[in-house]
Amino acid sequence: MIWAISAGLLGLLAMSIPVGIVLFLLGFGVDAFFSAFPLIRGLGNLVWSTSNNATLIAIPFFVLLGEILVRSGIAARTYAALDRWVSWLPGGLVHANVATATMFSATSGSSVATAATVATVAMPQAEKLGYDPRLFSGAIAAGGTLGIMIPPSINLIVYGFLTQTSIPQLFLAGLIPGIALALGFMAITVVICLMRPELGGTRRTFALAEMLRALIHLIPIVLLFAIIIGTIYKGWATPTEAAAVGVAGAVLIAAAFGGVSISMFAQSILGTVKIMSMIMLVVIGASFLNFTLASAGLGRELQGLLDGLGLTPMGLIFVVVLIYIVLGFFIETLSLMVVTIPIIVPLVVAQGFDPIWFGILMIVLIEMALITPPVGLNLYVVQGARKTGKMSEVMVGAIPYVIAMLIMVALLIAFPAIALYLPSVLSEV
Amino acid sequence: MEDLLLHRLRRLNHAIALLTGILLLGCAAIVLIDIVLRQIGSSFGGTDEISGYVMAIATSWGMAFTLLELGHVRIDILRGRSGPRGRAFFDLFAMLVLTGTVSLIAYKCWPVLERSLANSSRANTPLETPLAWVQAPWFAGWIWFAVMAWLTFIAAALMIAKGRFDRAEEAIGCFGEEDLVK
Repeated sequence: MIWAISAGLLGLLAMSIPVGIVLFLLGFGVDAFFSAFPLIRGLGNLVWSTSNNATLIAIPFFVLLGEILVRSGIAARTYAALDRWVSWLPGGLVHANVATATMFSATSGSSVATAATVATVAMPQAEKLGYDPRLFSGAIAAGGTLGIMIPPSINLIVYGFLTQTSIPQLFLAGLIPGIALALGFMAITVVICLMRPELGGTRRTFALAEMLRALIHLIPIVLLFAIIIGTIYKGWATPTEAAAVGVAGAVLIAAAFGGVSISMFAQSILGTVKIMSMIMLVVIGASFLNFTLASAGLGRELQGLLDGLGLTPMGLIFVVVLIYIVLGFFIETLSLMVVTIPIIVPLVVAQGFDPIWFGILMIVLIEMALITPPVGLNLYVVQGARKTGKMSEVMVGAIPYVIAMLIMVALLIAFPAIALYLPSVLSEV
Repeated sequence: MEDLLLHRLRRLNHAIALLTGILLLGCAAIVLIDIVLRQIGSSFGGTDEISGYVMAIATSWGMAFTLLELGHVRIDILRGRSGPRGRAFFDLFAMLVLTGTVSLIAYKCWPVLERSLANSSRANTPLETPLAWVQAPWFAGWIWFAVMAWLTFIAAALMIAKGRFDRAEEAIGCFGEEDLVK
């Protein structure tokens, strides 16, 4: 059954059938060929119970929050402010790209939104100041991926939902690896620009007074992050409710800093509905496939397969990492996560690994998928914002950051505490 | 004719998407009020339930808008390497499969509503919501999605039959206009 499903999955995806629909079709297939009793009778109930879910409403809320921040111009001002603070480093503005992406990750749940935000505000600067377009755009694509690691994260919500893992704990677990990755991106930029100074453009220093004045533009984002995360860990609100608080915060901040209009709101709403429905079709399809696979006895079959392979737990993790890297070349992120969770997470957890730790490991691998060609959504987003030059330049520019992610994967496997420390000390939440 | 049809469908679903968004905003407002009420020691006691219903209804009604905006993710590996005719074939085939699947889903959603109607079921919650009240709009959203999918499929098929591959790609291709511009 595993092989039939995997082959069916790749075949149907290659036919460019929408991912959500592919998951339903696979579910129908499992039902027809591998199940003793008709599972399709449960379809209606499953669609209802999956979408009638208060946790998932965090998805449209976080998307809306990001849309409002971008469209109200707060993103552009944050970028300018961070430029004042980090452009003295070798690599100059490239660090501003990573830093802005990191800050936006802390308020946005999505990588594509983060990359699009930073690319829109950063690209005009690159040419003006003589940066190497490859490194510059690669850094945006990579920095953007932090959106799904640093809380809040839509992908972690979906992971938590599908694996019955605590979402606040997942959020805590993502914080240190997310910040470490951001620092890793900056470190690798410094190394590259020390070796090849011509890639890094002009280093600029600003007067202290100017740096301090710029701080005011960071307040909105810091405030918003504090509001969202604060309400969750104070116990005032669940992650879902915190998302609603975040939306209100974003509206107020946008209003306070100007840039609110009816048409901006309408565009934000339309963008939100579009992304929400896209995500939900995939999530509902995945939960139907989950249900059919579980009913058809996937767990037993996987256990049998694994015993047959004779893998050690570490061997299993190694194989899983390899699978994600390979699939990540071809499959878009959320789809990759959702189609593999039902098969891979039970396997990994059965070997005694912590589902929260594995969630974070999976996120790093998925981040990598976002910036590896031929299907790396962030590469396309950044290229789209560039309007000139070749796609391959962005791909080359992203390579150093892929290496940083691989190092992170190795570190997470060697030291699970990177992810699990915060959830363990704050476990009363 | 097919252009006019698509244009109308887009405008209609545009309006529906705005309403869906307003529904979500309303829900956010309710959640906020509840958080504040809890801090001063009272509560509706039903926000989670309301959020769930809003999510189910918003999801089903947003689907057709996303379809018309080419928002449902597809993998572009083989398709992207084909010529205009090949792409038209991939698009139309994918559209047909989607339409068939969505129709089946909508059909299978009916028994859920039917049972709630027959038993006058109420949710097992503090609000005791009559389930049919929220399941009827949810079910209608899936029917709407199926109908929109059929109409879009027909319009695109007509375009392809007439050899208008460019227009067909705008209607059922892989990336939305907005994605290409951004």
